[in-house]
Amino acid sequence: MFKSYLNESKIHPAPLAVFRILFGSLMLTTLIRFWANGWIHTLYIEPEFHFKYYGFSWVTDFGNYTYLLYVICIISSIGIILGYRYRLSIFLLFLLFTYTELIDKTTYLNHYYFTSCIALLLCFLPAAHYFSLDALKKKKTIEAIPSWMVDGIKLFLCIVYFYAGIAKINSDWLIEAQPLSIWLTSKYDIPLIGELLKYKLIHYTASWSGMLYDVFISFFLLYPKTRKIAFLFVLLFHIMTKVFFPSIGMFPFIMIFGATIFFDVKWHKNILLHLHYLGIKLTQKFDFLKSKLTSKKSITLFKPKKHVLPIFLTFFFIQLLLPFRYFAYPGELFWNEQGYRFSWRVMLMEKKGYTTFKIKDSVSQKTFYVDNTDFLTPFQERQMSFQPDFILEYAHYLADHFENQGHQNIQVFTDSFVALNGRPSQRFIDPSTDLSKEIESFKHKKWVLPLEDEIYGL
Amino acid sequence: MKKSIYFKLVILLLIFQGCSGDSDTIEIIEKTDQSNVSDNNSKSTAEFDRSSMLSFWADSIILPSIIGFENELNIFNENVANFTANPNANNLSLLREQWLTTYKKWQYVEMFDMGVAEEIFFKNRMNIFPANVERIERNIKNQKFNFDESANFAAQGFTALDYLLFGVEQEDDTILTKYSDSSLNYDDYLIQVTSKMLELTVLVKAQWEGDYRDSFVQSTDNNATSSINMMLNDFVYYFEKGYRANKFGIPAGVFSGGPLPNRVEAYHGEMYSKILSLEATTAIENFFNGIAYNDPETLGPSIKDYLDFVESGLAERLSERINEKLQGGRTKINELNTNFIKQIEDNNTSMLHTYDAIQSTVILFKVDMLQKLNVSVDYADADGD
Repeated sequence: MFKSYLNESKIHPAPLAVFRILFGSLMLTTLIRFWANGWIHTLYIEPEFHFKYYGFSWVTDFGNYTYLLYVICIISSIGIILGYRYRLSIFLLFLLFTYTELIDKTTYLNHYYFTSCIALLLCFLPAAHYFSLDALKKKKTIEAIPSWMVDGIKLFLCIVYFYAGIAKINSDWLIEAQPLSIWLTSKYDIPLIGELLKYKLIHYTASWSGMLYDVFISFFLLYPKTRKIAFLFVLLFHIMTKVFFPSIGMFPFIMIFGATIFFDVKWHKNILLHLHYLGIKLTQKFDFLKSKLTSKKSITLFKPKKHVLPIFLTFFFIQLLLPFRYFAYPGELFWNEQGYRFSWRVMLMEKKGYTTFKIKDSVSQKTFYVDNTDFLTPFQERQMSFQPDFILEYAHYLADHFENQGHQNIQVFTDSFVALNGRPSQRFIDPSTDLSKEIESFKHKKWVLPLEDEIYGL
Repeated sequence: MKKSIYFKLVILLLIFQGCSGDSDTIEIIEKTDQSNVSDNNSKSTAEFDRSSMLSFWADSIILPSIIGFENELNIFNENVANFTANPNANNLSLLREQWLTTYKKWQYVEMFDMGVAEEIFFKNRMNIFPANVERIERNIKNQKFNFDESANFAAQGFTALDYLLFGVEQEDDTILTKYSDSSLNYDDYLIQVTSKMLELTVLVKAQWEGDYRDSFVQSTDNNATSSINMMLNDFVYYFEKGYRANKFGIPAGVFSGGPLPNRVEAYHGEMYSKILSLEATTAIENFFNGIAYNDPETLGPSIKDYLDFVESGLAERLSERINEKLQGGRTKINELNTNFIKQIEDNNTSMLHTYDAIQSTVILFKVDMLQKLNVSVDYADADGD
């Protein structure tokens, strides 16, 4: 049955075209907003040291030329919206946007990762074979594509929601209502509802409904009869998160617009029809386009290339397994963060740390502490202070730095304290471990002291 | 569609139902048995009025501290006039005494680094140490200098006074000789340093007496520029930098690999660094616990109360742990030699232990407290999810 679904089930390409246009528009907004906030400079150019993803230490910023990457990404997004040289546009966007994300893992956000994944999928989808400038040039118009191409995007959204939901099934989230208790209490300044946000009941309501929403929303979106109301919930939920957590950025909009992929083909055709009339109105001024828009074409089915389906299957195989890689590590996931990223764990932790580094000459026994602000931006220092892989990488950077300054027999020790989800702070890194001798790998980091508490659940 | 409306109504009802129920139970106020705790403290579990905390800070701590400091500085200014007119041993000792009194009062002002104070680099110009002796001597010799230049920050304020009153010569006799000879201009420099300090203090005071006070009190939001966040950031920053690092860590050599006794506060006066640091400890404790500047019996809404409010329902309170740690630091300081230079030279280990005790409070402030109050320590601006 699965085989016949893959080979025979067809769908109109309109949903994919709408998705392409929405995705391009959101990317365009995201990129411009990122630039306008000055973040290209503060996050990528200004820091003299970048925290690297394992295996991507070769990725560097290009100084002021980093802006050029964004220029190309912006042009590509416009190409994606218009469906103009789509393959090239989406490929460039995927490559360069992902590249900028790899410059510094301090800026890791789940929704940037989400964006990169979607862009990757779109590289292989015929999203510009319909309702696009590329399609205008062609003699044929596509009327059907394999269903799995649209369903693949739906599946990906379902995975994101579902995994984000089950990650909330833990004792901190459901029993302590943390970190929402801390976060909501501090939002007392929101007009009208701010005063209510100090009540425990609100914290619990928000925690539980957030978990239930994430776990179940995709099923209600999939089922036609509940789709409308489910979408209302999507709107309500994400607008609420934007009100409570303005710093969540573009995430709510990405999820709201993304969820339209679940709608009927009819809805998508309707949208495109409106866009089409708008297009005609605009193009009446440009005669040369008008003839192309109205010209008659032969109708065909789209046949995907052979390699696309295996790529999709591999992608989803990885997506389904990757979030569970934390089972391979001992200790508390929230504390050690081994297997935390790339797993759709969104807004689960309020974690604050304070980590200072002691440089020691192992021969003379002389020591001194490093002023982190000499090397890191405030944002980097904040992120570094509670993430073991950051701490290790920075310790190595410091060892190299002071070695180059002529110091000898260098050892690097830490004085590190972290508080998680309202617990009292406790020592985070074994202060007797010389981090300059520890090597980054996917192995368990034994020098992270265990959390003196237990969090139950997934 | 009808169904969805009903559904929403039900949810709304549930929420309101819940709120009223919750506030009923929360009305039960926890009785505290500490006798010195005022009404303000015991109320804290149910409601917390951020605006009245800000008013209390402005009206009962910040402005009175600045005025108290200004008053002593005025007296010092008079003493300077007396001393420069009659540079004798008696006037010198009166001047030094008043210098210490004023310096102690300064410890209550340094942490409020906001508004005008921040703009004019108040704390850097009043108390950056070590003094730049070379620069001071050059200024005195050349008679041409501009105190507003950042290069002259270490050539003015209390550290310059410390040098001028104790360090220009080894013996008091020879110091007096220097001030007796007006052509050497030491007297003139002393006058100028003092009047600059007064000028800056008046500027800062005027701000708090003016509109700034009202906008400070009204800004109760939770964002990077609101008063509570600014104040908490300043307070924590002062504790970490101005108090922990400057007074203890740097001279003890925590950041340099070897002790730097010449980096103690009031280096030339030698015996005052401990007195000053104890005074700063009191200023910190008072601010944290909401003790009025002019009357230690008057308690107002404070960071402590704010913490107790967000921790209502918890048995073990962070505010208590912070007060214990502050007390622990004070005990360590008390054990030190009055003369920090001597302490560092004779037994730097005690100095380092004192630093460690203070450091443990930094962690409670920066990690636990800022997490509980959800105040960001920096103005780093980026999305998060």
